[in-house]
Amino acid sequence: MRSSSRSGPISGLLRLPEEAATAGFGRLANVRWSLLLVALMLSVVGAATVHSASAAMPVEYLPRQLAWLGAGLLVFLVTFSVDYQRLALLALPFYGVAMALLVLVLFFGQVRGGSRSWFAVGPFGIQPSEVAKIATAVLLAQYLAGLEGEYLRLREIVTATGIVLLPVALLYFEPDLGGALMYLPLLAAMLLVAGIKKRYLVVAAGTALVVAALGWGLIHDYQRERVLTFLNPERDPLGAGYQVRQSKIAVGSGELVGRGYMRGTQSQLRFLPARHTDFIFAVLAEEWGFLGVAFVLFLYGSFLFGCAEVAARARDKLGMLLAVGFFATFAFHILWNTGMVVGLAPNSGIPLPFLSYGGSFMLFAFAATGLVLGVDFRRYVNR
Amino acid sequence: MTTVVRTRERRETMATRVRVLSIVVGAALAGVAADYWLVQGLHGPEYRELADNNRLRRFPIRAPRGVVYDRDGRALAENVPSYNLLLEPDASNDLQKSLAFAAAILETDPGQLHRLLVAHRRERPVEPALVAENLTLAQVARFELAALEHPEFEVDVQQLRLYRHREQTAHVLGYLAEAGPQDLATGRYQRGDMIGRRGIESQFEAALRGEDGERVVVVDSRGRAVDEFPAKQPRQGSGLKLAIDLDLQQTAQRLLQDKVGAVVALDPRNGAILAMTSSPSYDPNLFARRLRPDDWMRLITDPNHPLQNRALQNTQPPGSTFKPLMALAGLSAHVIDTNTTFYCSGAATFYGRARRCWRRQGHGAVNLRAAIKNSCDVYFYNVGQRLGITRIARYARLLGLGQLSGIDIPGEKAGLVPDEAWSRRVRKIPWYPGETISVAIGQGPILTTPLQLAVMMAAIANGGQLETPHMVERIAPARTVEGIDPAAWQVVREGLRAVVDSGTGHAAYVPGLSIAGKTGTAQVIAQHTWTRAEDIAYAQRDHAWFVSFAPVENPQLVVIVFIEHGGHGSSAAAPVAKGIYEELLKKRPDLRAAPPA
Repeated sequence: MRSSSRSGPISGLLRLPEEAATAGFGRLANVRWSLLLVALMLSVVGAATVHSASAAMPVEYLPRQLAWLGAGLLVFLVTFSVDYQRLALLALPFYGVAMALLVLVLFFGQVRGGSRSWFAVGPFGIQPSEVAKIATAVLLAQYLAGLEGEYLRLREIVTATGIVLLPVALLYFEPDLGGALMYLPLLAAMLLVAGIKKRYLVVAAGTALVVAALGWGLIHDYQRERVLTFLNPERDPLGAGYQVRQSKIAVGSGELVGRGYMRGTQSQLRFLPARHTDFIFAVLAEEWGFLGVAFVLFLYGSFLFGCAEVAARARDKLGMLLAVGFFATFAFHILWNTGMVVGLAPNSGIPLPFLSYGGSFMLFAFAATGLVLGVDFRRYVNR
Repeated sequence: MTTVVRTRERRETMATRVRVLSIVVGAALAGVAADYWLVQGLHGPEYRELADNNRLRRFPIRAPRGVVYDRDGRALAENVPSYNLLLEPDASNDLQKSLAFAAAILETDPGQLHRLLVAHRRERPVEPALVAENLTLAQVARFELAALEHPEFEVDVQQLRLYRHREQTAHVLGYLAEAGPQDLATGRYQRGDMIGRRGIESQFEAALRGEDGERVVVVDSRGRAVDEFPAKQPRQGSGLKLAIDLDLQQTAQRLLQDKVGAVVALDPRNGAILAMTSSPSYDPNLFARRLRPDDWMRLITDPNHPLQNRALQNTQPPGSTFKPLMALAGLSAHVIDTNTTFYCSGAATFYGRARRCWRRQGHGAVNLRAAIKNSCDVYFYNVGQRLGITRIARYARLLGLGQLSGIDIPGEKAGLVPDEAWSRRVRKIPWYPGETISVAIGQGPILTTPLQLAVMMAAIANGGQLETPHMVERIAPARTVEGIDPAAWQVVREGLRAVVDSGTGHAAYVPGLSIAGKTGTAQVIAQHTWTRAEDIAYAQRDHAWFVSFAPVENPQLVVIVFIEHGGHGSSAAAPVAKGIYEELLKKRPDLRAAPPA
């Protein structure tokens, strides 16, 4: 790996690759910009839907969402510009800071939605778990990329798992089950791509089952209730099952072409809970029908395909693993959230990238997009 | 170089894994899309209905019920506005204060209002609670004035059924009662609907009830109204014009005051019922609101059964009012003719048993006319013996006895015309010839309703047309009674006229009106001695009948009077008929015959 041989002073962190500097915009044209375009299209759809969802709420979330979108674009510029190979050199301190934040939030954070997971920044809230996710992804990619050999050894798998399990454990105490869950695709995807023997795969699957069984005893009552309700939504139609039931009614009543923008009865008459955040896709499905759903799912499909393509054509392991990690994170968010809205997955408070209202996750999504496109941008340099 | 190649090979392997991963994710995304297709495309309409159930609340607007009129267009059953007080407790800031405010206006106790509220909430949690009914206009005004301070109260206007003539028309009209579980099970009624019970209200329920309208209100998840669709207006039920003549009806009811019995008055030309009363009666207005338990208990424990419509439901032996039919049968079967005479010594023996005539000293030699006029029992014992029960039963059925008349109000009873077959089938014993002798004078197992006797008398009056009695105008062709000697009708009519002019029915005599009639006494327990009615305990006294029509030459009205435990028809029932004919003459002076020169 040449990256490891390259000296990495912090002052050089923002330096563009030499080739890019010499070849000018010729190289920039080789970046998969459609990824950003799709992300922006999704953000516009999201802003419009947030506006509709907040029409029947005391607060109009559209300006805030647009502010977050602007901040997201700035974050994108930064993460795109930063050479991820140089960033990787700082992975451990970055990770350390992120873990410290996760510990701090347990003591000084604000409680929202039952989880102590927010830092108040003026009127806005920041979730350190999103920052920590990037730090974890970078450290994990850096660690796995530095390994030799066709397949990972057990010790290496355990180390990699440990890197991810630390933030997961901290999130468990917040408690933010959904947030913790979203670290797992990162680990799984990177391990799979880095190379894992079949017998370890079998062992991992078995371990996952055991952990799930143990986890059943460890998770909180309300979380257990959510899972039980997912398995049988009629269990408690006015309590935990209410959200899922109302969401499914909203989705179904959209039929093919929807009720029309701002005219979804489930959203506008407040039957749909968390409609500007976790259940924003239900608002979209109700007001735009299956046509809107298919359009947005198509955009998500192209976005994910773009991420995967960037990963596949990256020339270095670090870039590839980083892109795969974010690909898997996005994929999991998208599948889980859209599945949850239609009743296929339990309700775990997992937002939908670019659509759900929420600053921290918006910043994460654009930061991740920036990093992925940064990988693509530097694929002829970093090998 | 080898490391570079190995690195590149390794990179290709990893890139392949990435592509596999992306295919797996792509498939999963397609799976999610497919599920959205199922929910939105395939089951969309079901979910849209669920969404509408979420947001739409439907409130019925009750259709005003059709008004019922008498033959001259006077309203018998109508609708009046009634003001109810509704309370929406969620809209009150201070429920105790609200209840105290309402209690002061209603002059009741706040605790009582609270109990009503709690009871109503338990039964119908989402609707505003009905806490007071039938407010006065002054009370309505005070609640409306305070509408801004007390938005939790709402005065609701409902149409209330009003029976202006109360007891006088109860048995004709019936009443309204709240839909019960069986009615709701039909799917045609909603909770709180009022349904016609008994009488016209029940029979013509479908036409009278009209079609309810509906208000559709859009509510949010907290049940607050945010929008309203244009209401579907209710369609009032059809009005009904009855054949009833309110004056005759009221007269009949008044004449039955303090008596137990029934009157049927109908037009023999078409079967139209001009008056039909049953006494004791009840106030149907009691049912228009929820009936109070003590009122209901009083109605159903009354030994005289005020809810029973005796005109259709009381089956009793017709007594001597059966004799005109015996005369028709005897003449038509040629077992007698107008000159046939029998000797009445006050008693006679049939099948080994002594039979008394009602007149201890006897009537001597009597022909048919005299037998009818004086109601000679011995004469008709002989006619009965000659006819036999089979022929008696056949003629009785020809004239409508033992079967439903087909009147257009529910609850009619068929009565009983006994014969040998009936005896074997029902009683499981053979018919005794001696019973034929009893039946010949309308005693024994034969049972008739006042309405059936009215149909029979109408046929005698109109010369053999069996009309279907009816309350509401309709075209129902009369059946011609077959098998009666055409000359017999006139013979019987003359005999019946003599009854009133100078015979047993003279108590019904009205100067200036020619009336044909017949008295009758239904034995409650067999009297083996000649006894005066007044000397017997009420419950053992005989029932009194009087059947009649007038004017004889051009019959316009049949009047049947039945007085339970009235004693003799001549003394108890005939004067009631007289009163009705007098009322008829007041209305129709043209029926008065020219005074004898």
